[in-house]
Amino acid sequence: MNKLSVLKITDLTKRYYNKTALENVSLDFEQGKIYGLLGPNGSGKTTLMKVVAGLHKQTSGSVLINDEMLSYKSKAYVSYMPTENYLYENFKVIDILKYYNTMYEDFRYDYAVNLLNDIDVNSDIKISNLSSGQIGKLKTVIALSRDAQIYMLDEPLNGVDVLSRDTILDLIAKSHSENKIIIISTHLVSEIEKILDTVIFLKEGIVEVFGDAEELRQERQLSVEGIYKEVFRNA
Amino acid sequence: MLNLIKYEFIRKYRLVSMILITMLALNLFLLTRGVGGSMLFLVLSPIVLYVFYLADIIKMYSDDLNKKTGYMLFMTPNSGYKIISSKLLAAILEGFALVLIYFIFILINGTYIIISAGNEIDYSQIIKAVDNLLSGSLGFNLGHVLVFLLAALAFLIAFITTVYTAMTIRKSIFSEIKFGGLFSFIIFLLINWVLSFLSSKFYDIITPYYDTVDTISSTGRVSAGGLAMILLPMIAVLIIQAVSLTGISGYLLEKKINL
Repeated sequence: MNKLSVLKITDLTKRYYNKTALENVSLDFEQGKIYGLLGPNGSGKTTLMKVVAGLHKQTSGSVLINDEMLSYKSKAYVSYMPTENYLYENFKVIDILKYYNTMYEDFRYDYAVNLLNDIDVNSDIKISNLSSGQIGKLKTVIALSRDAQIYMLDEPLNGVDVLSRDTILDLIAKSHSENKIIIISTHLVSEIEKILDTVIFLKEGIVEVFGDAEELRQERQLSVEGIYKEVFRNA
Repeated sequence: MLNLIKYEFIRKYRLVSMILITMLALNLFLLTRGVGGSMLFLVLSPIVLYVFYLADIIKMYSDDLNKKTGYMLFMTPNSGYKIISSKLLAAILEGFALVLIYFIFILINGTYIIISAGNEIDYSQIIKAVDNLLSGSLGFNLGHVLVFLLAALAFLIAFITTVYTAMTIRKSIFSEIKFGGLFSFIIFLLINWVLSFLSSKFYDIITPYYDTVDTISSTGRVSAGGLAMILLPMIAVLIIQAVSLTGISGYLLEKKINL
């Protein structure tokens, strides 16, 4: 049975003066799946996510969410976790949660507060006093505490200690449901591949591979990490 | 939009509080220097407040456009028009708040000066004296002051929208240009030049009609209403400018921004 395609990207191109970050990228994202957006630095993963999140404007091509052109309204359906630390440094953790609760109708405040215990982050601490690992975990909690249709997590395991990575992966898996899309970009392919349904390999802004993770494993007799190394050798 | 404005103030209240506490401490210190210290504070404090105000309203928008913390704002499901309008309203409200604070400083220091002179305080008499002073020796009254304040407010709004539009243009159409601050300033100058050119053409068109308006009384003075008539074209131009530039900024934030 075909699942509903909630996010449709067609011939998406993003050019800068001296570089093409994305070139004619066409992808359909179906509900109920976890997508791995994989590629080396500069392959266009973050640019793709930022275009869908409305933070960058494409040079050409279209992005449809629920069959509607991307606009500020789409941001109500998309929960994006940037790889950078974007949180207000002079806010406490609890202030950040209150901000999200105010700005997003789908933010689950109590759920977020409970998750803070799971990730061992004190709600009364200022963002500027958190370690990079704690900020990484907090960003993921904030993003996943929204009841969004599309989650995009850019390098959610970056800077996070080994023990906490399992907590993050558990959170991601818990957020997975039949009517949601989760898109994860990461370099830590081996750690994330166990939860991926579909993988997308981006190389210099072009989609090199797009397919079901299990089918690719069987076809190439390699793990997703092995396929990654094969595709991006010499990249 | 109220939530956006609310968070503009939440984000800056610590800095504003620090500035005000510092100024209050300085005022108290200068009061120990007598009436001269108090007068010095009343002269210097509006300059300090104005410089702080300009720096603050520019920095807040610049930070949102150029730092990663801007994602907190631009990831929210708010249109570009709503975002820029909330920025503008927050800037105006902050201006009003700082003016109010300056008036409080005037009250504090004015009270001190009066008491130092051995007099008693009667605020109704003070207001009456101010009005008499203006209408008597200076030739205008509180009505004139209100018209000037309205013109000043229109000018301030137009100035802020020009600055914000320059910054928005730089971050959208010219997002890859280096030395963003300098480039924004150049765009600001260009916008001002274009607006001055258009304004002068507008005044050329309406001046013949205004020459017929009788605004000067038989005593050779201009009434508050007459002053309003004289300033009306300028105020109208500034309001049209502010609305247009806000629309342009909103459109660019909506369709062209690259953070």
